[in-house]
Amino acid sequence: MSGSHPLHRVAIAGVAATEMARHLDTTSAEISLRAARAALDDAGLTVADVDGVAARWPGPGGTVFQPGSADWAEVFGRPLRWVCDTYPQGVPGALDAAAAVAAGLCQTAVVFGGQAGVMGGASVADYTRPDNEFIACWGSLTAAQFALVAQVYRHRFAPDPECVAAIAAAIRNAGSANPAAVMTGRGPFTAADVLSSPMVAEPFRLLDLCLATEGAAAMVLTTAERARDLPQPPVAIMGGGSEWHRQQYVNPPRYDEVWSLGADAAQRAFELAELSPRDVDVFELYDINTYEVVRQFEMLGLCAVGEGADYLAEAGIGTNGRHPLNTDGGLLSYSHIGWGGPTLKIVEAVRQLRGTAGPGQVADAEVALVTGAGAGAQYHNVMILGRS
Amino acid sequence: MEGPTVEREDRTQRPLTGEFWAAVDRGELVRPVCGDCGQSFFVPQFACPRCQSIRWAYEPSSGRGRVYSHTTIHRPPTPAFDAPYVLADVDVEEGWHLLTWIVDCEPDHVAIDMAVTVRFVTGPDGHRLPAFAPDETAR
Repeated sequence: MSGSHPLHRVAIAGVAATEMARHLDTTSAEISLRAARAALDDAGLTVADVDGVAARWPGPGGTVFQPGSADWAEVFGRPLRWVCDTYPQGVPGALDAAAAVAAGLCQTAVVFGGQAGVMGGASVADYTRPDNEFIACWGSLTAAQFALVAQVYRHRFAPDPECVAAIAAAIRNAGSANPAAVMTGRGPFTAADVLSSPMVAEPFRLLDLCLATEGAAAMVLTTAERARDLPQPPVAIMGGGSEWHRQQYVNPPRYDEVWSLGADAAQRAFELAELSPRDVDVFELYDINTYEVVRQFEMLGLCAVGEGADYLAEAGIGTNGRHPLNTDGGLLSYSHIGWGGPTLKIVEAVRQLRGTAGPGQVADAEVALVTGAGAGAQYHNVMILGRS
Repeated sequence: MEGPTVEREDRTQRPLTGEFWAAVDRGELVRPVCGDCGQSFFVPQFACPRCQSIRWAYEPSSGRGRVYSHTTIHRPPTPAFDAPYVLADVDVEEGWHLLTWIVDCEPDHVAIDMAVTVRFVTGPDGHRLPAFAPDETAR
C-alpha cells in the first residue's frame, strides 16, 4: 500500500456495538447514541473530539435542516463541520466519512445508527415491506426480491441445495458460539436443519434468511496520524468502492443485471489496496440470505459463476477454512439492526484485525473484506480493511 | 392497518402513474412509450430511461409475455395476503417488465420462460390489479 491515496491517510480508531435483542425497551435515537459514545470510548475520545457525524436524524424528514428531527449537533453539544445522512452506515458511511476526513472537511467523524423499540410482534420488519405502489400491492417483501434473483440462478445452474444450506448452518453455528449474538446458544445447525425449516419465499427457508432485531453500531474515523496516538491499533481503509445499480425495491431485480453486482466496486477496491481477493484472511459479507454469500464469492472471481456453493463446501468457511466468513454469526444469527446492520460488519472486521474477535477469531487476520447490501437491493459495496 | 374510516387515496390521480391505474380499472394494460425513441419502459419515470426524453405517453400493451423469474410466497408480509401466491417478474412482449402475480396456475407449475397473458384480479385492498395467467394460445 503506497500511502499516497487520500483514503490511506484515514483510519478506523474505534468501534462499538450495543447489546442485541429481538426487542429493546428504548428508542432508536437513545440506542444509537449509546453506540456512538461506546465507539468514542473505544477510540479513547469523547464527544468533544467529534466534528463530523454520519447518522440518521430521525424525525420528520431527518437532517439538520428539518426542525423536529433528532439533532445530533445539539445532543453532542457542539457545532459540526461535516454531516451526512444519505447512507450513514456500513461501507458507504465509512467511505464517505473517510473522504471527508481525507479532504480535511472534518478531523474525527462518528458513524452510527440502529433501531430499538420498533420491532413488535410482526414477523417482518417495516423496512422489509417496500411501500412502492408497484411492489406493496403484490405482497412483496425484501426476501422475495432476492428470491427472484436466486430463482434464475437455480434454474441455470442447479446448485446443490445441501451445499447452499451448509453455508447457513456454518454462519449460524458461528452465531451460536458468539455470546453477543441474538441467537447465541441456538444450534448447532446442520444443512438438514436448514432444508427442513419452513419455506418463506422460494428458494429461501426461514434459516436461509437474516434476522430483524434491535441494537446499534458505531465507528469512529480519524486521520491515520491522529489514530497512531490513540489507544487502539488503528485499522487502515486499504480500498473501497460502491455500485448503485437502481433504486432498491421499485423494479424487480434482474438476475442478468445484478448477479455480478459489486464486481466493479471490488476490482477498484482491490486495485487501490494492491491486493487480490485471494489475500483476504477473513470475510464479513452481507448475508441477507445464503445465496448472497454464494453470489459474492462468484462476483469476487474466487470461483466461476454457478460453482460458488460447491466451491465453498470444498474451501471451508469456518475459522480454520480457506475463507473464514461472518465470524460473529452475521445477519443470520448475530443481529440485523436496520440502520446499523451494515456497520456491524465493520465492527467485526476491526475486531478481527485487532485480534479481539472472541470465539470467531481467525488466527493472524491481517486483511478483512467487508461488503454491504446485494443483488436484490440493486446496490452493493465493498471495503478492504487491514492492520495499519 | 388503516381503519375503515380512513378515506382511501385515489390512485388514478397520482402524478406519473394515475393513468396506469385508471387503465387497470377499465381492464386495460398500458405502459409508457417514449415519443422520441420508441422505448417502452416501466415503472413510469419522469423521463425515458433510454434517451431521457420527457415526451412519453401511455400506450396499450398486448398483455402477452413470459415469466422471467418467479417465487412462491409462503409467509406474506402482512396478513392481508393469502399464501401461497406466486410473485413473478414478467417480460411483456413490447420490451418492458413488471412485478406481478401468476394466477390460475398451481404454484409448482409456474416455470421460467412460461408464456403468460394479463388477467385482471382484485387485490386484498379491493383494487384491480394486472396479474398474469398461463397463455394457452401461445406457441
